[in-house]
Amino acid sequence: MILEVDDVSKRFGALAALTRVSFGVEAGQVFSVIGPNGAGKSTLFNVVSGLFAPNTGRVRFRGEDITGLPPERVNRLGLAKTFQITNVFPEISVLDNVRVAAQSRAPESGRPSSLWRRPDVDGTVVALLEAFGLAARGEAHAKNLSHGEQRYLEICVALATSPTLLLLDEPTAGMTPGETRDATALIRKVVLERGLTLLLIEHDMSVVMGISDRVAVLHFGEKIAEGTPDAIRHDPRVIEAYLGGGDD
Amino acid sequence: MRAFGWRAVVVFALLAALPLVPGVSRYYLLLAFDALLFGAIAMSLDLLMGYTGLVSFGHAAFYGLGAYATAILMERGVQSVWACVGFALLVVGLYALVVSYFATARRGIYFALLTLIFAEVVYTFFRYTQTFGGSDGIQGLPDATLFPGLVIDTPTRKYYLVLAYLAVAYAICRVLVASHFGRVLVAIRENEDRARFLGYNVQRYKMGACMISALLTGVAGAIYPMRSAFATPDLMLWTESGEFIISVMIGGLGTLVGPIIGGAFFTILRDKVSSIVDWYFIVIGVVLIVIVLFMPRGLLGLRRIFSRERATA
Repeated sequence: MILEVDDVSKRFGALAALTRVSFGVEAGQVFSVIGPNGAGKSTLFNVVSGLFAPNTGRVRFRGEDITGLPPERVNRLGLAKTFQITNVFPEISVLDNVRVAAQSRAPESGRPSSLWRRPDVDGTVVALLEAFGLAARGEAHAKNLSHGEQRYLEICVALATSPTLLLLDEPTAGMTPGETRDATALIRKVVLERGLTLLLIEHDMSVVMGISDRVAVLHFGEKIAEGTPDAIRHDPRVIEAYLGGGDD
Repeated sequence: MRAFGWRAVVVFALLAALPLVPGVSRYYLLLAFDALLFGAIAMSLDLLMGYTGLVSFGHAAFYGLGAYATAILMERGVQSVWACVGFALLVVGLYALVVSYFATARRGIYFALLTLIFAEVVYTFFRYTQTFGGSDGIQGLPDATLFPGLVIDTPTRKYYLVLAYLAVAYAICRVLVASHFGRVLVAIRENEDRARFLGYNVQRYKMGACMISALLTGVAGAIYPMRSAFATPDLMLWTESGEFIISVMIGGLGTLVGPIIGGAFFTILRDKVSSIVDWYFIVIGVVLIVIVLFMPRGLLGLRRIFSRERATA
């Protein structure tokens, strides 16, 4: 088990964003968390990645208790996260965006020599940009990329920190159905090539069914189902959550 | 010399030749001293404002403490430039450690306010207690000694002292902004939340940037009494911090060279206009408003009009 989420609850004032959620991700798996908008998926990611401490419950990553550790510590243990709303460094070049991420794993990082030395990370950086078709856009400022390119840059920045577990929060948000298919295939390819474990959030079920080994479903902050994509597709509670809405 | 492009070498060579120009008076050499010193401080502040995205309203305290460090030693008969600079590094470093620890715990306007409040406390101490001369400060200091037998007594020597400091400080800043550290500062300026998710302890980097900026400013402060022969609380007044910020803005944020030019421009403009009218700040104000409104990239942005070169800062 590379990631264990154990009985995690998170409240914001009166709002119970997550209620006693538990699941485990095996190394090498593609694990998806789905659910309608507002189900608590992003909150779950923010708890796992260290932005929020949960009110109850524990999070363990590779056997180590990471509950309540700040994001920078969690990231250094090998867990990287992307954001649902593109969250990169807008006024610097695409290359510099990925460089600053990659150099956080350079030996100089955190040492006095980082004040005068600049690690050469361009090999890793260019390879990543090529994998996502951004190599030709290296000199452009991140804010000038198209929406689809920015979504890919978002993933490149996370991958540049050489994680073992990658958390993608709706990587295809705002893409057309065609772009979504391409992006999903590309993400799957990169994850396989690098031997990563992937934890994916989606509200669009069709995106995850094709690439996931296992799927968990959140609804109003609670896990209502977990299983293989096939089992989930036919689970009546899941169908109810997606089709029935929250009215009845 | 890796940090120095050939253009920087040419500019410093030209500046070094200034005292050789026939007809340059004492007055102009000392004005040049002030201009370069102010430029060096604005450049140090640019590490915070332009690269890290933090606005400090308290740099005058670093400057003033550096000046008092020199004055206190000289009053007690220590005239060595090195001893004064070393003492200033110690004093300003200790103070900056406290300020930066608390100020970087907060963001945006709170950072600015905390730096201002700390600086006002320091100002009040020097101005309203008689510990170090109250409002008169420490006056009538002797000339400093660089090496045994080499006294910084003429305007030319004073000018070379500040020019040497500017060159060293510029080289340090250049290396710094091109380093691993400098790149992280820019990432923090751009999006500090994301920088945390890349494994960077953002507060530690901010503290580092504050410390370096403060120490460079403190050394500039330590040099000032070697020209003026005094240190007064006015050096720590918040308006002084404001003038540093203005210099960075009019020179061009995040360029290092721009703020040097901005600081020098501001100093010379103030000197020239104030020798004509008492209400000189109205004139300066109009000039600054025009620059900020019509040259958002500052004076250094003008180079874009003359060259097609793309700025990559």
